[in-house]
Amino acid sequence: MSLYQYVKKNKMLTAVIAAYLVVTVLSPDKALASAKNSIYYLKEMLTVMPIIFVLTSLIETWIPRQIIIENLGDKSGAKGVVLSFALGSLSAGPIYAAFPICKALLAKGASVLNIVIILSSWAVIKVPMLINEVKFLGFNYMLVRWLLTTVSILLIAAATSLILKGSIPQRSSDASSGPIKVLSEYCISCGLCVDACSKYFTVQNGKVTLTSAPPAAADLANIKEIAEKCPAQAIILQDAT
Amino acid sequence: MDILTISLWLITAGALVLSLKKDRSKTLQSMKSARNMMKNMLGSILGILFLIGLILTFIPPTLIQGALGRSNEVLATVIAALAGSVTLIPAFVAFPLINSFTSVGASIVPATAFLTTLTMVGIVTFPLEKKEFGAGFALIRNAFSFVFAIIIALLMGVIL
Repeated sequence: MSLYQYVKKNKMLTAVIAAYLVVTVLSPDKALASAKNSIYYLKEMLTVMPIIFVLTSLIETWIPRQIIIENLGDKSGAKGVVLSFALGSLSAGPIYAAFPICKALLAKGASVLNIVIILSSWAVIKVPMLINEVKFLGFNYMLVRWLLTTVSILLIAAATSLILKGSIPQRSSDASSGPIKVLSEYCISCGLCVDACSKYFTVQNGKVTLTSAPPAAADLANIKEIAEKCPAQAIILQDAT
Repeated sequence: MDILTISLWLITAGALVLSLKKDRSKTLQSMKSARNMMKNMLGSILGILFLIGLILTFIPPTLIQGALGRSNEVLATVIAALAGSVTLIPAFVAFPLINSFTSVGASIVPATAFLTTLTMVGIVTFPLEKKEFGAGFALIRNAFSFVFAIIIALLMGVIL
């Protein structure tokens, strides 16, 4: 990676390093004090990071996401609400990683209520993240915020569903030339597809792209399997056969 | 380390051993994807952590108490909610960031508003949401999330 690319990818870190350099020149004492403060937080962070990391991996391994998705139909009722909260809370990645999954669910007939619950809980209630919240802000804070947020999400979902009269206009996905497509805006760079099939997938600037090689028909089954495993559902197969 | 953290370490380690026993390759595969995801966030995590040091050193606590303290809570909360809506940082460095503010006297009310809109309202991801679900849906969901973030924050101030 060139220096320019590195800076572009790590704008925040670069700016902070630059600030430290300036402070070091102007007032070394203050730079030292700042670093000391930060190292305290870094240490605290390191005591919970491994837990969050392992927990995220375990959730990814054992939560039967497909089964939850199958059970989220239009008339899933209270069970659907609980499942939606579970799906959102037990997923990794930022909110936009939930968009393709929610779109697929809408096509399968999931209600607007459940879609909003999934999106919102995906954003704010992450189980491994609750540990981090306890660590830095205390157990009571986490519990009260969790309760208030859960109730709010239900109200937001109900209100949204009411306003939209329970339906979202379906949009067809844009056509593309090849049989496979990687939606780079959704890619969370987990590298799963590259590991499974480096023949067609490669990482470029931190995002997965397709290699130029046209996929052989024999490989399509394999690619389909990988696409299903993609945690962000960012790999699209145009031909559904 | 406090007792809670230690017990969490033990529970997580136990669960990991069980998981590895039950399905070794699947567990290792998800650990690898989690590692790749974390690696991508490492830059902003370190950036924020070292920014915290600068904030604590250079911004005098009295200023933070004045601006984010109990005195002008509602205005501070709305501004914090707006800041959270446009900011894109990994949620889990938001917690130490918030802690650094509250430890020098900022109220938890604006802090909570920031935390909630940070993840639930996305100005930056709005075009993407609009493209997938339509402008109406994206607008309604983000607007409600913003309003509720403020309500949650104010209630937190009452309860805690």
